Amino acid sequence: MIRIENLHMRYRSAQGEVDAVRGVSLQVAEGQFYTLLGPSGCGKTTTLRCVAGLEKPTSGEIGIGDHIVFSSRQAIHVPAHRRDVGMVFQSYAIWPHLNVFDNVALPLREGKKSYSGKEIEEKVRGALHLVKLGDLEKRPAPFLSGGQQQRLALARALAREPHVLLLDEPLSNLDAKLREETRLEICDLVKQLGITTLYVTHDQIEALVMSDVVAVMSMGVIVQEGPPKEIYQSPRERFVADFIGMANFIEGSVESPGEENGATGQVKTASGRLRCLLPSGSACGDSVLILVRPEDITLCHDRSTTQENVLPGRVEIVAFMGDSLDCQVMVDSQIVRMKLHPDVDLSRGQKVWLYLPPQRCRAIRR
Amino acid sequence: MFRVEAIRVPWLRAMDINPWPYLVLGLVSFLVLAPLSLLVLGSFSTARLPTDFSLAQTGLQNYLKVYLDPLTYELMGNTVIYVSGSVALGISLALTLAWLVERTDMPAKILIYAGVPMTLAVPGMLQAMAWVLLLSPRIGMINRGLMESLGLAEAPINIYSLGGMIFVEGLRLVPTAFLMLIPLLRSMDPALEEAAATSGINPSATIRKVTLRLLAPGLFAVMVYQAMTALEIFEVPGILGLPSRIFVFSTKIYAIIHSATLMPVYGQANALAMIYLLIAVVTTYFYSRMIGRAERFAIITGKGYRPRPQELGAWKIPALAVASLYLLLAVVLPFLVFLYASFLPYLQIPSAAALKSFTLKNYRLLATYGEVGSALKNTAIMVVVTATATTLLSFFISLVIVRSRFWGRKLLDQLAFAPHAIPGIVMGLAFVWVFLRLDFLPIYGTIWAMVIGFTTNFISYGTRAMNASLLQIHKELEEAAYVSGLPPWRTMRRIFLPLMMPTFAGVWIWVVLHAVRIAGMPLMLYEGSQNQVLAILIWNMWDEGYIPAAAAIGTLLMLSLLLLTLLVRSVGFRTQRADVGGR
Ligand SMILES: Nc1ncnc2c1ncn2[C@@H]1O[C@H](COP(=O)(O)OP(=O)(O)O)[C@@H](O)[C@H]1O
Ligand SMILES: [Mg+2]
Repeated sequence: MIRIENLHMRYRSAQGEVDAVRGVSLQVAEGQFYTLLGPSGCGKTTTLRCVAGLEKPTSGEIGIGDHIVFSSRQAIHVPAHRRDVGMVFQSYAIWPHLNVFDNVALPLREGKKSYSGKEIEEKVRGALHLVKLGDLEKRPAPFLSGGQQQRLALARALAREPHVLLLDEPLSNLDAKLREETRLEICDLVKQLGITTLYVTHDQIEALVMSDVVAVMSMGVIVQEGPPKEIYQSPRERFVADFIGMANFIEGSVESPGEENGATGQVKTASGRLRCLLPSGSACGDSVLILVRPEDITLCHDRSTTQENVLPGRVEIVAFMGDSLDCQVMVDSQIVRMKLHPDVDLSRGQKVWLYLPPQRCRAIRR
Repeated sequence: MFRVEAIRVPWLRAMDINPWPYLVLGLVSFLVLAPLSLLVLGSFSTARLPTDFSLAQTGLQNYLKVYLDPLTYELMGNTVIYVSGSVALGISLALTLAWLVERTDMPAKILIYAGVPMTLAVPGMLQAMAWVLLLSPRIGMINRGLMESLGLAEAPINIYSLGGMIFVEGLRLVPTAFLMLIPLLRSMDPALEEAAATSGINPSATIRKVTLRLLAPGLFAVMVYQAMTALEIFEVPGILGLPSRIFVFSTKIYAIIHSATLMPVYGQANALAMIYLLIAVVTTYFYSRMIGRAERFAIITGKGYRPRPQELGAWKIPALAVASLYLLLAVVLPFLVFLYASFLPYLQIPSAAALKSFTLKNYRLLATYGEVGSALKNTAIMVVVTATATTLLSFFISLVIVRSRFWGRKLLDQLAFAPHAIPGIVMGLAFVWVFLRLDFLPIYGTIWAMVIGFTTNFISYGTRAMNASLLQIHKELEEAAYVSGLPPWRTMRRIFLPLMMPTFAGVWIWVVLHAVRIAGMPLMLYEGSQNQVLAILIWNMWDEGYIPAAAAIGTLLMLSLLLLTLLVRSVGFRTQRADVGGR
């Protein structure tokens, strides 16, 4: 279990002060895969490094398992080497002067707990086997490929059987195809070991695919936290919707709020009335932003089929992407993006009607 | 592209041959190979003087004499102790300082960053002399002070010893090693050490098992480089070892030629110089291999934030004390001692009486003493001509190496680098042979002999610097000027020269700073007041016991070198890291 409470981290450098983390609180349950997702510079790495003990936070409290490892109030700061963690660095930080075996063995040989030579050998073999590096034991570290270095870093972090695993963008240095494979492997591995994992990435797909819980960070704070599906489908802020996946935003104001509990209501927009899901407690006249994902919008050929939520538009750009047809449609003076089946026949300049299903239109407060 | 244009010799043109590269190659071959071959030939000469040398009088006698002499083996032993001792002292000090400023929260780091390179401004000869004034058994101020205050009958410390040589040379090796270690520490990915911490390895094991191991190849290269420096230097073992007849290679060769009692035997000096040269060449070869290996470890570096500095806590004060003590010993104390001695009518330890006897007599003497004037003039001419010649020659050599397709450019590169491995004293000896044997060059005993000797020695540095900066000036920069309509000579003036200017200035100043302080090679080529330069003048005054007068010149020299170094640094000519080593 990892518990972070009201964490603040301020860097003082020659260029001035940077508030890298500004009040992060989170809790990673035992065995959970928790991901910090956010754009570069939002403070993810800093948060992770505070948990590892590589940075000393300005204030707040951090607990790992049953131990408090940092608390500004109680003046506790456990140094990194006495925390029960394993960490994979973005650069992998494989020790270049050691071979594969010794890279994994060094933490066991030099760590607090002492193991017999045989135990060490067993543990190292086990860890290397887990990451499928069993047959490269003797290879010097500089002769490993990027993917192998990544696995080795993981084996090294796991060999000590730490209570929690910290991963800082472990896939960002791999090429696209390898990244996809490794994503699933890491996921399987940590699930199989049941280890509590704090994962950092700026890649939304990674976060959605791998995590039990995703926390979206921006400028040093967590903006929204929840299971991947919830984060994707019901973002509570424009930033979250924008950062994860593609989204269309339509401005409007509430005309008639629906009944309580996820019911739909009417919103007046520049292009007409739209029925959509409103945030609870909306009142008449609230200004809102309606969010529709491109893949949720469909075409209808004449507007008589459904009266509601149909907007007229003109096709501006059609791009064939192989597995989909991405198009941009001008609705009044706004571009709406949609993602269609590749077989759909559309051409530039064509007049179309768009159907925005009410259950897929989500209004958020502005 | 700017190329040395062909001379218009019709028949060469017709054969499509550009004579410039041949000219450069010929000149460099002569400068490097003539002295070396005469050195080798001379080692077999049974005639005592180079002028008597003939092929009829050759044999192995010199080698037998040198290698059967047990003193030669004592000499080797001394050299090994002296070199390894001073390297060990110098490197551990430099590593400590570099680690303190790069990786800890030591206060007043700027003191070290700025102060350590300044110690380069103190010439080895003056550094050694200052320590004689402090620690000689007879006149050393510290010794005398200790004897008086503790009531000792004998001086507790003797600087005229291997230990003394190691101490002074060790101090002198620090700045260059420091400047080489800083980038080494900086280029190391801090994540490599952090990975150890997050793997549960405690800090001291991290230093032993990760940091030092990672530094090892680079550290070893620095050690080899410094061993070469210590092996080559003449002044420190000369001042500290000659009086007590403790010889190392460089001083022994000098002593064979300049023995006061025996007639010089040049052949023997050559025979001894051959192994000395061999060791130096092997070390240099080793060093270049090392550099190649060190690069293998230069791997993935992280995002460029410095790791969190190690908190020194209570160790802050001792750390600051070590750092200040080094600066005190390396610059402050030597300078103060010289300053003090330069005001004395005769040498005495500091006391109220001594302070009362302060006089400007020594400085006045310098102004009136004829030899000072001629030495200054000689030095000025020698230094300026050497610096200019080195800069120009290096430039032309590098132009051929980097910018031409001349078949011999690899050879030229190696020839130009070769003098790097040749100790100054050996080079001096070799040039004695050249100037005495090749009588179409009637310059023996003039400053021009020194100019040629120094230039040959310094083109190894000059061509390295020029090669590097020529390689950085991409042809496209000039081509961009051509396609913008600039004619070649304008391109050269507007693009090429401005880009090369910092390198020209850098090499020129480097040569000045070095040529003015080195005494070894000039001493070999010195014949009398007509080619006496400042370094020799100080050496001679010291030798003859005019210590306060020597101190006065030394003070002025140190002061001007300090100012020049300060100026160079503040203007921003960052001399390349590996090449700042003084003598
Ligand atoms: N050691 C440091 N010194 C100064 N500023 C830092 C340091 N490390 C990170 N920062 C700054 O803190 C902010 C957050 O950085 P980081 O946590 O690395 O972001 P992320 O990992 O989300 O990309 C950035 O603005 C970064 O520039
Ligand atoms: Mg990061």
